[in-house]
Amino acid sequence: MERKIIETDILIIGGGTAGCMAAVEAKERYPQLNVTILEKAHIDRSGCLAGGMNAINAYLNKGETPESFVRYVRSDSCGLIREDLVKTMSELFEYCVKKVEKWGLPILCDDQGNYLPRGRWNIKINGESLKPILAKSARSAGAQVYNWINVTNLLMEGDRVAGAVGFSLRNGTFYVVKAKATIIATGGAAGLYRPNNPGDASHKTWYCPYNTGAGYAMGIRAGAEMTSFEMRYVALRTKDTIAPTGTIALGVKAPQVNAKGEQFMKTRYAHLGGDGAPTPYRTYGPLMEIKEGRGPVYLDTRGLTAEQVRELKAAYLDMYPSMVLYWAANNIDPSKEPIEVQTTEPYIVGGHCQAGYWVDGDRRTTVKGLYAAGDVAGGAPYKFVSGCWAEGVIAARAAGADIANMPPITVSEEQIAAEEARAFEAIKRPGKVRYPILPTDMEARLQKLLEQYAGGASTYYEMNEEMLQIARQRLAKFPADFNHLVANDLHQLMKVHEIMDRVDVAQTLVEHLLHRRETRWPSYQTRTDYPERDDVNWLKFVNSRRDPKTGNIQVLTRPYEQVIPGDRYKP
Amino acid sequence: MPVWVDPEKCNGCHGASQPPCLRMCPGDLIVKDHTANKAYLKYPEDCWDCLPCVKVCPEEAIEFHLSYQFGGKGAKLIPHIHKSHDQISWELIDTQGNSETFTIRTKLMPVALDEKVEGGTQTLDFSI
Ligand SMILES: Cc1cc2nc3c(=O)[nH]c(=O)nc-3n(C[C@H](O)[C@H](O)[C@H](O)COP(=O)(O)OP(=O)(O)OC[C@H]3O[C@@H](n4cnc5c(N)ncnc54)[C@H](O)[C@@H]3O)c2cc1C
Ligand code: SF4
Ligand code: SF4
Repeated sequence: MERKIIETDILIIGGGTAGCMAAVEAKERYPQLNVTILEKAHIDRSGCLAGGMNAINAYLNKGETPESFVRYVRSDSCGLIREDLVKTMSELFEYCVKKVEKWGLPILCDDQGNYLPRGRWNIKINGESLKPILAKSARSAGAQVYNWINVTNLLMEGDRVAGAVGFSLRNGTFYVVKAKATIIATGGAAGLYRPNNPGDASHKTWYCPYNTGAGYAMGIRAGAEMTSFEMRYVALRTKDTIAPTGTIALGVKAPQVNAKGEQFMKTRYAHLGGDGAPTPYRTYGPLMEIKEGRGPVYLDTRGLTAEQVRELKAAYLDMYPSMVLYWAANNIDPSKEPIEVQTTEPYIVGGHCQAGYWVDGDRRTTVKGLYAAGDVAGGAPYKFVSGCWAEGVIAARAAGADIANMPPITVSEEQIAAEEARAFEAIKRPGKVRYPILPTDMEARLQKLLEQYAGGASTYYEMNEEMLQIARQRLAKFPADFNHLVANDLHQLMKVHEIMDRVDVAQTLVEHLLHRRETRWPSYQTRTDYPERDDVNWLKFVNSRRDPKTGNIQVLTRPYEQVIPGDRYKP
Repeated sequence: MPVWVDPEKCNGCHGASQPPCLRMCPGDLIVKDHTANKAYLKYPEDCWDCLPCVKVCPEEAIEFHLSYQFGGKGAKLIPHIHKSHDQISWELIDTQGNSETFTIRTKLMPVALDEKVEGGTQTLDFSI
């Protein structure tokens, strides 16, 4: 295989929301450093932002402070977050948003020039081209961008990360990037559980289906400590199209109603804040209506004015155009009929929940030389685009400072050769194995297994010790089949790596689900054998580390630290 | 079939190796048949319906088709990117043929017709 060796100072894996912002910050602060981005797609339209955005969901509107934000996020996440991380990211919202506005992002303003809020922590944008705006800024800042490079693993120099390797989807060149600091920004993981829609719509997921947990998996293999995988994200989304509902719920303040027209959040969940209850309960509430026979569930848009309906459609066109075509194709007029909603496949995403790398205040992971930002980083929920930017900034600042005066990296040829073999094995296999396994075959088996035994939609996301033990045992058999995976072209080779990554993520996930013996986030993490929240024993983080030598996953806990005083269950 | 390249309208972006539709797909699902000089969606089951491919095609050759399981044909959604000002117009046509236009502010981000790939393009052949 052709090899391309690159030596750089800072390597960014994944040129998405956090990755592009990290690149700009690194080049602005440390112009003398080389910054390199490796991206599996093309940074102009990759990751979560490909279709556009209509709001910045984490912003301190007038009167709010980092402290009020931490209080809100803490109660929204049922009393357990890394308050230090949430605070430091919120301190940078303004810095990041102003920057992106300067680059050309249209932000909606009132007559006085103040940003228009959409809910307490959100502002409205016309973000159809947000991703190309970020990409252009990363390039102009001087970052070296390599598109269509699927990163397969980290490189190590002793116990520190020394860069990464991957292959080109265009020509199969093997990329070896040696870096003094590596920032991982590959987003979260979709496609672990059975998707909502079958057949040609199976990728019609809410979370970006091309973020397949690669960043988590690389860290898991390198022995990085991970946190809170058990806090999965189960979203409340529109029926079929799986579009975000904040646009409706916050944009036009539509309440949830059940089949009988009851505003059940207001009655059954009044003690938790009704329609403003913590996000897990806004998934759990409608789920229980359906389970107990009062479904379907809707967002009640009846009575909206024609003007409001137009606004709603315009907002979706900026982010999720398929919603608008769906209404037109099915003759749905949101002012006359309510919009049906459903719950999604569980995702692992550190930007909505807090599954991801265990990091310090500077977003250093527990492995030297490796930093994490965005949906791949743990401990700090409620990140959304602006929190991902903030983490990119923090990680870039720390990475640049840490590597001052560092000698060049050396990586053994033995390691590079082993990684090269691992990267391309599957494409050399067709015709050479008696029982070839396509990546889609393994995907189907994984998704079915997690769906049935690790709290998928068909069991209302519920699970118990016995189910999880089955999931653990059956998952343990997957890695032995990796050497049957076949790829007939480079695209399929990417899919082979995606499924191997998801298996690694799934194993860690199940260990976390087994470990937390309480129910802290109903629907995200519902244990039927431990149905109550238990602050006495479980007000702490469940973390894990897979030993790179033995492959054993060790689960440990880390204490929760309250930084902002006050009742943890009050916003 | 979520998006569909109309072979009548696609001109292959004048022999481009990496035309805009192909470059802007976050899943890398579109390929170009260089013999026919046309692009097509090679992996329809993996499409996210996110539409960058539709928006950036200079010939407006890509149609957004809603999956049949979601209600399918009968309605249309067509984005038009303005060439000179920061706007995108969406034309929505319902099943009765009524149309509605949404003109929305955006930042104009011109997209080149082609882009060079580091190391060129080539498919791997391990059959020997
Ligand atoms: C449909 C949708 C709508 C949303 N709407 C809003 C909204 O309106 N407002 C808001 O504030 N937030 C919104 N969010 C949340 C927000 O978009 C995300 O939290 C955020 O963009 C994540 O940023 P990230 O940098 O972690 O990931 P991404 O921006 O997705 O970047 C990850 C990058 O890594 C690349 N990558 C992945 N694996 C590899 C690999 N193996 N090798 C190389 N590269 C790789 C991907 O291609 C991608 O470019 C929305 C999310 C979705 C999915
Ligand atoms: S951008 Fe449009 S015209 Fe160009 S190759 Fe793609 S479909 Fe054809
Ligand atoms: S709609 Fe999105 S995922 Fe589908 S082909 Fe176009 S760019 Fe790719």
